Amino acid sequence: MGILDKKLSLRNRSKMLIGVWEDEDQLVAAASELAHAGVHIHDIYTPYPVHGLDRIIGARRSKLARIAFFCAITGLTLMTTMIWYMYVHDWPMNIGNKPVRFTPSWAPVMFEGTVLCTAFGMSFFFFWRNRLVHGIKNEMLDIRQTDDRMIVAIETVSGMDEKSVLSIMKNGGAVEMREFENGVQTVI
Amino acid sequence: MIHDSILRDRLVTGDKSASDVTRDIARPILNNPSTAWKIGFTLSLVFLGIFGVSLLYTLYTGIGVWNINKSVMWGWDITNFVFWVGIGHAGTLISAVLLLFRQKWRMSINRSAEAMTIFAVICAAMFPVFHMGRVWVGYWALPLPNAFGSLWVNFNSPLLWDVFAISTYFSVSLLFWYIGLIPDIATIRDKVKSKLGKNMYGFFSMGWTGSTRTWARYELVSLILAGLSTPLVLSVHTIVSTDFATSVIPGWHTTIFPPYFVAGAIFSGFGMVATLLVVARKVMNYENYITIGHLDAMTRIIMVTGTIVGIAYLTEFFIAWYSGNIYEQYAFTNRAFGPYWWAYWSMMSCNLIAPQVFWFKWARTTPWFIFIMSIVVNVGMWFERFVIIVTSLHRDYLPSSWVMYSGSLTEIGLFLGTFGIFFTCFFLFAKFLPVINMAELKSILRNRE
Repeated sequence: MGILDKKLSLRNRSKMLIGVWEDEDQLVAAASELAHAGVHIHDIYTPYPVHGLDRIIGARRSKLARIAFFCAITGLTLMTTMIWYMYVHDWPMNIGNKPVRFTPSWAPVMFEGTVLCTAFGMSFFFFWRNRLVHGIKNEMLDIRQTDDRMIVAIETVSGMDEKSVLSIMKNGGAVEMREFENGVQTVI
Repeated sequence: MIHDSILRDRLVTGDKSASDVTRDIARPILNNPSTAWKIGFTLSLVFLGIFGVSLLYTLYTGIGVWNINKSVMWGWDITNFVFWVGIGHAGTLISAVLLLFRQKWRMSINRSAEAMTIFAVICAAMFPVFHMGRVWVGYWALPLPNAFGSLWVNFNSPLLWDVFAISTYFSVSLLFWYIGLIPDIATIRDKVKSKLGKNMYGFFSMGWTGSTRTWARYELVSLILAGLSTPLVLSVHTIVSTDFATSVIPGWHTTIFPPYFVAGAIFSGFGMVATLLVVARKVMNYENYITIGHLDAMTRIIMVTGTIVGIAYLTEFFIAWYSGNIYEQYAFTNRAFGPYWWAYWSMMSCNLIAPQVFWFKWARTTPWFIFIMSIVVNVGMWFERFVIIVTSLHRDYLPSSWVMYSGSLTEIGLFLGTFGIFFTCFFLFAKFLPVINMAELKSILRNRE
């Protein structure tokens, strides 16, 4: 699997059902009911983080913490090597006749380098994995999904009972329901 | 089952909905600038001009236009450096440490505090950079091969640690701030009408859609960045304190400096946050978002950190006496009762005595009074750095080199000018970016337990 999460793009989705919610609690309950009914929720778009939705849509736990640790080890190694090369190997400096070898006075520079490498390395992976690129075309299903509406996008597969899905959505508090087909949305 | 709290006060008052939050917070960005903004911005530009003139004069004539001399080789410049770096620290503290402690009240103030960090670090960096004198060879402070003109840098020197610490701190703070801004920039992108605005906010929102998968990773990345920033902020001011503490100058050579400086930084930073937010909540009509409860919480922190700093002042005095070292004892007696007594007692009054007024609820909940007190705190913290630097240097081991020092007009101009840099940046930020984190705030509109 590449680093980019392909599930985030709507480009290959030809047909979907879309539900719009106003209330966070109703959304969580309805999404949970849909997931229990075996409906495949492609994604849920919210203006703020709603906890628990990632588990409902079956998103796997992120590996970002491991990547951060890897970046930290890389940063630490790079900085230690850099100081050793400059300070011990290439041009040992005699300052006050103090020994030129590994000392605790290296720690601040090693620490700062580790933090810098971790923060930027991890953030770079975060941007890449989440398709966050400067100037990219944003694939919005509803202009209000960054304001006050919560959008559930359901992938329609052959054999899916659309009527029962729509009924769960309606009973679960969806204020609007739409069909998405080849980039065009029709109100149901 | 989720319940709304009946015990805690609401963090956002006025019964606001998510769309109200967007409308209220985005209003200054979507509308034309107000008269108050125009006046404030023009005034900031005037101060920025003062900075420009003072800096050009310094560069053209040389560092001799400052009153620093062979005894007091650090004067207003390093005082201002430590002052601004200290102010910057509260931003990271609010966003990172309070996030780790799950303090939701931070959500109304973290954005502007982080912005304050970045602008304050820019102001701070001006002083050591231009104190180099030959600023065009400033890159010698970086670890570059000998062929570039200098030897490899000295990794045993706290001044070099500072180069790494301040640059890392600035970069990581900027990254943390920007990642926090992305969802809100996307909100503005979807609200703004002009084509230029759509393109600009579209470019910086990086195609944000608010996907659940992205939100889950976004929260994790924020948490890890907060975890990184917390030791980072402690390390930065610790390193700044070692610029002094690793020397053998009486008054500087003390192991209490790192915690004492960090507490002072938090204290002064919260002072500046209070100054900015008391005004911003009134001028921008954000009283429902930055409530009296927020001011109350900030003033409690000011009181606690002010008391910690005060205890550090007294401990220094005690240790000077207890050490039996006559030079150390003289340095502190000279601080309190020597020619700079007025600076020492200004520091004590503003930092230790004045914040004790926050034991009273009225003082913690009256905005105009908090504003005055926040200025007092900042004045006190500037004097603290002046006292540490100047009173320790002006009388050293050799009485023949004892001198008096006061800032020249150029030094004063540079200091006032940094307020121009700071406020110009802050006014631009308030006009073009949301001052309050809309996305986070929307998640706490209901008072959940």
